[in-house]
Amino acid sequence: MPAVQDTIDRVRKIDVDQYKYGFQTEIAMDKAPKGLSEDIIRFISAKKDEPSWMLEWRLEAYRRWLTLDEPTWARVHYPKIDFQDIYFYAAPKSTPGPTSLSDVDPELLKVYEKLGIPLREQEILAGVQKTDASELEEVSDNVYKSGRVAVDAVFDSVSVVTTFKKELAQAGVIFCSISEAIREHPELVKKYLGSVVPTSDNYYATLNSAVFTDGSFVFVPKGVRCPMELSTYFRMNEKNTGQFERTLIIAEEGAYVSYLEGCTAPQRDENQLHAAVVELVALDDAEIKYSTVQNWYPGDAEGKGGIYNFVTKRGDCRGDRSKISWTQVETGSAITWKYPSCILRGDDSQGEFYSIAVSNGYQQVDSGTKMIHLGKNTSSRIISKGIAAGYSQNTYRGQVSAHRKATNARNFTNCDSLLIGDQCGAHTVPYMEAKNSTAQFEHEATTSKISEDQKFYVMQRGIPEEEAIALIVNGFVKDVIQQLPMEFAVEAQKLIGISLEGSVG
Amino acid sequence: MNMHTQPQRTPAETALIDAFGDRLSLLPGDGAVMLKRDDAIETIKHGLPTRRVESWHYTDLRRLLNAVPDFDPAAMAKAIAPIVDGSAVVSILNGKSDAKVPVLEGVSFQRLSEKLIDGSIAPGLDPYGSDDAIGALNTAFVADGYFVDIADGVELEKPVELQNLQAGGQTHVRLAVRVGAGAKSVIVERQTGDGAALGSSVSHLVLGEGAEVTWLIVQEQPETATHLAQFKAHIGKNAKLTVFFMNAGGKLVRQEIVVKTTGEGADFKLRGINLLAGDTHTDVTMVLDHAVPHTTSTEVIRNVVTGKARGVFQGRINVHQYAQKTNAKMACNTLLLSDDGEFSTKPELEIFADDVVCGHGATVTEIDHDHLFYLMARGVDEKSARGLLVKAFVAEVIEELDDETIVEALEARLDDWFMAHG
Repeated sequence: MPAVQDTIDRVRKIDVDQYKYGFQTEIAMDKAPKGLSEDIIRFISAKKDEPSWMLEWRLEAYRRWLTLDEPTWARVHYPKIDFQDIYFYAAPKSTPGPTSLSDVDPELLKVYEKLGIPLREQEILAGVQKTDASELEEVSDNVYKSGRVAVDAVFDSVSVVTTFKKELAQAGVIFCSISEAIREHPELVKKYLGSVVPTSDNYYATLNSAVFTDGSFVFVPKGVRCPMELSTYFRMNEKNTGQFERTLIIAEEGAYVSYLEGCTAPQRDENQLHAAVVELVALDDAEIKYSTVQNWYPGDAEGKGGIYNFVTKRGDCRGDRSKISWTQVETGSAITWKYPSCILRGDDSQGEFYSIAVSNGYQQVDSGTKMIHLGKNTSSRIISKGIAAGYSQNTYRGQVSAHRKATNARNFTNCDSLLIGDQCGAHTVPYMEAKNSTAQFEHEATTSKISEDQKFYVMQRGIPEEEAIALIVNGFVKDVIQQLPMEFAVEAQKLIGISLEGSVG
Repeated sequence: MNMHTQPQRTPAETALIDAFGDRLSLLPGDGAVMLKRDDAIETIKHGLPTRRVESWHYTDLRRLLNAVPDFDPAAMAKAIAPIVDGSAVVSILNGKSDAKVPVLEGVSFQRLSEKLIDGSIAPGLDPYGSDDAIGALNTAFVADGYFVDIADGVELEKPVELQNLQAGGQTHVRLAVRVGAGAKSVIVERQTGDGAALGSSVSHLVLGEGAEVTWLIVQEQPETATHLAQFKAHIGKNAKLTVFFMNAGGKLVRQEIVVKTTGEGADFKLRGINLLAGDTHTDVTMVLDHAVPHTTSTEVIRNVVTGKARGVFQGRINVHQYAQKTNAKMACNTLLLSDDGEFSTKPELEIFADDVVCGHGATVTEIDHDHLFYLMARGVDEKSARGLLVKAFVAEVIEELDDETIVEALEARLDDWFMAHG
């Protein structure tokens, strides 16, 4: 059958099923029974030693969720998710409450080693044991020079380790898992949790509010510039699990924090569900920079398996002159449904969104942002670069709106798409809503393929086609890469190269 | 939010369904046409579109359409002078075609009621999609209009003006035009009247190979009328279609422009201006399908928003998988001149072919202060300077139409609007 042979050849060429991070880690797991009910939520809450107000909060969200319908407006297609066939809680059985890396299951450490993402660099991980004062000072001196990063690792549903905790505490920064924050800083959690993404916000955010199992919590007090990059690393391991993490970052007046999350998941035939919620709060003069490198398993070359990534991310520029900046490099997941947004509530506040979304194989990406201008003299900037290859569908969906009172709101949007191959699709759906005459909105979008002239120019200098394409693509996304912290920029460039492997010819 | 809801029929929906029952015996059509009418009213029974229907996101028809007037057989409308002197004019007076039609060589005019009775128009009555509420409303109630056939190779010197004049009540009309291979013409679609009417008007144009048509839609309904209009066209091989629209009136207006390129070398141009004032709602929605390779399109929309007016432009360009070498560009620029006005745009690109060049741009802003300063520094007072700049902003689009008599005629309409709205 020539048709079948053709398919096989094609698959071999596409190469997408050689997922670099597709390995499973055999670690003893502690799981709740499959399915979702009030009992499961009580179980999760009990497992986490949560106070009763938290349980109530979760149950309320669950009851709300039961009244909601799954959203269908995004340009993604997938079989209906059976929420009763998912494990909502899976925790790796490791020593309770690890305080240093030596307590962590060595299998887990091996995972990090295999990944080789900068987060797991050995000297950074070693840093966790430096606890006495003299060493600490030395460490803080070296922070900028060595580019050290504090890491919170979330494995399936549970935060397993947070590094550099003590050093951060010295600066007044709280960086811990959200479960720990609920126990130890309930006043902060009560005040801010759900204040940006309310429990009833949307279908997946509501689900997350009911069943979230862990995530990171960052609190940077007034006037503090966080002395190092903070980072969370998410990995899904167990079969049929959903990962529902919740991140909450608060920057008080004049504070600054840069935060990075990285995600990977092993290769599996079934689809795994990931529905996270991220809330950022920036008070007067505060700045939060949030970067994501998302590389969940995208499914194999036939579109089987992969992660369903339904994420709600929103930042609230609550204070005057505050700034929130989202940078994302999306290369993984079978389905991405993600719109990191900024609510520009404070006067003179700023929102930024820089995005690269690469799709190959049968991936479907529907991503973009919302910039809601409420305060006076607010400005926002959106730079989105979509690259579609193989049989993938890549959609930018974004909204910019100026409220009646948002005088002098300013927005610039640029979203460009690049198509590689004639079986993929690139779509742009921007919404612009101006209700104030002093608003100034600009939007531009282009879609094209890599021009033959560009490719010819590079190739005639002796560079092979695949490298030429990678070079041109990297030029195409340069504006966004520049926004990433330096170590991750290098990583992201490599990741884009890997994702597009085999998409040529 | 996606709450489970049990929609209750609004008074407008009930009124439409009841009116259909009452009118049924008066509506012309053979068996096939009547079946289409039944299907169409079923669509309306399912409810008018809300903002949850993506293509109606900014025009929640269910909420906005709160009064449906009864049919008013006594209302009279009179034909008006065409915008270009010497045009061949046919008029639909409050929903009824005039038996008197001009005699023009190579052009035949036929009353649409006849085409409904003999059923020959039936295939064209299908709505173009599940969200085509205007198509459904029109198919259910359409009673008259014109069918115009321009024979192959006929080049018309003067425009043909198709007038749809309402005098209150409900009017549902259809204009079907076929332009033969190699024919050339300018067609003016005039939508105006005097009353608190609810009107639907569907224009359906088919262009033959190599035909060239400039279609001007001049909409000047009173600020009491609800005007739901649709323009549909298929552009054949090497044919060129330029559509110009001017919305300068109406209380609730939706103008849909649904165009498909069906032959290689087809070219589509859309130029439009929305002049919005008062407490009105105007929505222009375009869906353009590039369905075959080597076709081109450009769209330029300019909007002026004053008072409490709300404006919408949605433009979707679909490039099908085999439509390689498509070149499509769209721009939508808005001057928002009042704090109570608002404008929403959604320019969409849906692209399934890789060898294409597509782009869109959209801006919303107020008058450029530098430009204003430039004029005022030369002694022009602020009010006149603003007027000049706003007029220049929209006139630019009209001037692209090349044909001097048409440009002058349209600029006269523009002046009328500026006179009335200062």
